[in-house]
Amino acid sequence: MSEYAIEVEDLRKVYPGGVEALRGVSFRVRKGEIFSLLGPNGAGKTTTVRILSTLYKPTGGVARVLGYDVVRESGKVRRVIGVVSQESTSDDEMTGFDNVYIQARLYGLSGEEARRAAWEALRFMGLENAANRKVSTYSGGMKRRLEIAMSLVHTPQVLFLDEPTLGLDVESRRELWKLILDLKRRGVTILLTTHYMEEADRLSDRVAIINEGRIIAVGTPEELKKKVGGEAIHIAPMDPQDADKIIERLKSHGYDVRKAGRIVVVKVDDASRRITEIIKLVEDVEVLEVGVVKPNLEEVFLLLTGRRLIEEEPSTTARIPTRR
Amino acid sequence: MIGATLTLLYREIKKWVNRKPVFVVSLITPIIWIALFGKSLNLQSLFQPPPGVAQNPAFASVYKSMVEKRMLELFGTTDYFTYMSSGMLVAFSLFQGLFSGVSIIFDKRLGYLDRLLVTPIPRISIWASKILAVIVRVTVLSTILLVVAIAMGMQLKEGIGLVDLLGAWLVIVLVAAGISSLYAMISFYASHQEVVFTLGNLLNLPLMFASSALFPVEQMPSWMQKIAKANPVTYAADLVRHYLIGRAVNDYWKSIGLLVALVAVLLVLSAWLSVRWMESR
Ligand SMILES: Nc1ncnc2c1ncn2[C@@H]1O[C@H](COP(=O)(O)OP(=O)(O)O)[C@@H](O)[C@H]1O
Ligand SMILES: [Mg+2]
Repeated sequence: MSEYAIEVEDLRKVYPGGVEALRGVSFRVRKGEIFSLLGPNGAGKTTTVRILSTLYKPTGGVARVLGYDVVRESGKVRRVIGVVSQESTSDDEMTGFDNVYIQARLYGLSGEEARRAAWEALRFMGLENAANRKVSTYSGGMKRRLEIAMSLVHTPQVLFLDEPTLGLDVESRRELWKLILDLKRRGVTILLTTHYMEEADRLSDRVAIINEGRIIAVGTPEELKKKVGGEAIHIAPMDPQDADKIIERLKSHGYDVRKAGRIVVVKVDDASRRITEIIKLVEDVEVLEVGVVKPNLEEVFLLLTGRRLIEEEPSTTARIPTRR
Repeated sequence: MIGATLTLLYREIKKWVNRKPVFVVSLITPIIWIALFGKSLNLQSLFQPPPGVAQNPAFASVYKSMVEKRMLELFGTTDYFTYMSSGMLVAFSLFQGLFSGVSIIFDKRLGYLDRLLVTPIPRISIWASKILAVIVRVTVLSTILLVVAIAMGMQLKEGIGLVDLLGAWLVIVLVAAGISSLYAMISFYASHQEVVFTLGNLLNLPLMFASSALFPVEQMPSWMQKIAKANPVTYAADLVRHYLIGRAVNDYWKSIGLLVALVAVLLVLSAWLSVRWMESR
């Protein structure tokens, strides 16, 4: 048995009409990990999930889930996966319970087993009190949790979550993150797609950055963030005129330093260890603030593509990455 | 496969019954059909005796027997309402068939179909549940329709037995299965519900009017007779009349054979094309 739950090799998809959604995607997801596909709208995340969950056929390449080929052994794949798609797929004319119960029956559970499994899934998702209400009365967050309950009722070994927190408010998003981490603790392998860098960063063991149908980087969040030059120490001198003095001092000690406004940015690989040395070096300068800034995945994406993950977001929050 | 089909059928029926107002309206529909078509198209009222005749009891009775003789020739019963309501059962089934298409399009648009397709159920059970749901609907509603028609004056044939009722039901079910198969396969390939509604009206009205469902074929213009005689709805309506009101059918076994063959072809074609759509994306 392979240590990988999902293996994807050179996956390609051309939609009827000619859109090339995937142009050779390869990655592997280890058993028990949360693996994220991080990329902007149209990158090919949903297409990847649809192929892996046997909904669409690839134009080229191979994909296996728990060793089963998604095209030739689609029936076996379907037995071991759960899918929460980007759009709502519950029946909002029925109650939450009925939605989950029917799902359980479709996986071959008997009436009694299905009822028990449905209640357990609903309870796990915190929906037991709303179970007998029609889904049309649910909030956005509740609907998402119901979708997950529906996808969990047959205890799948691999779970696909396509943009699970899209459109949710901050509180529901955090709630859902907690539940996703709970699932991981139960041993479920999770492939998650998102265009929120914070989500990928917080939840994932490993992240693949996807753009225009290609994976452009894979690694743990930490590894990826190192690509933007590791961490940085920001020093804000009391008197802005002192900035040059600091820069000169640090440069002479071999540091990679630049100025961003009135702040001195020192790129370091391991900020928490370096910080004491750096503070000592500028001891004689009056400093307002010294801080360690961790690079984030948004910066990684910006560095690799020159684009932002969420295009409409104001660029004021963007920091200029070092291009090397 | 049977388990999955029954589970999905359970969902269809639960949805139908759950939508209380819609469910009640769907139960009233057959009553409205009978009341509107049956009583407004009361051809018999055209044959009221003229005033001079009506006043003379002897003339009136002769007139009445002449009219009845003519009615019997045309409709196989002295009562048009009886003729019409038995044909109505078939026409009604025709329109219920649209619901297979409508619910498939809804499941497609709501994403529910995608959810079903990632479960390990056989694809054909999705299709089968839609056809069976129509059959269940038609069975319930036709029963209501028949009971209401009887209450409003429909005369069943003398000594009607369980076998006759079963025969009529089977014919109605065949119509429902055939027509819902047709709309099911269209709906898997169509992207909008308008396609199904438009095609439904385009197809259902001529199927209903150019058949013996409402009027005897012999009374139609000759070009229409040709269509009506080839129209499977005519076979179905004639058979239902045979079972319910005892009107003679010209080619009993031929009618049954053609109907069964056509519905079988539609079922197979529809199942095959529907499954093909589900597997070819
Ligand atoms: N059913 C489809 N038919 C044609 N093109 C599609 C279809 N689904 C997605 N696409 C196109 O494929 C590309 C990738 O889409 P998608 O996989 O949905 O990206 P993401 O989920 O990352 O936003 C986009 O250009 C999108 O417009
Ligand atoms: Mg998507």
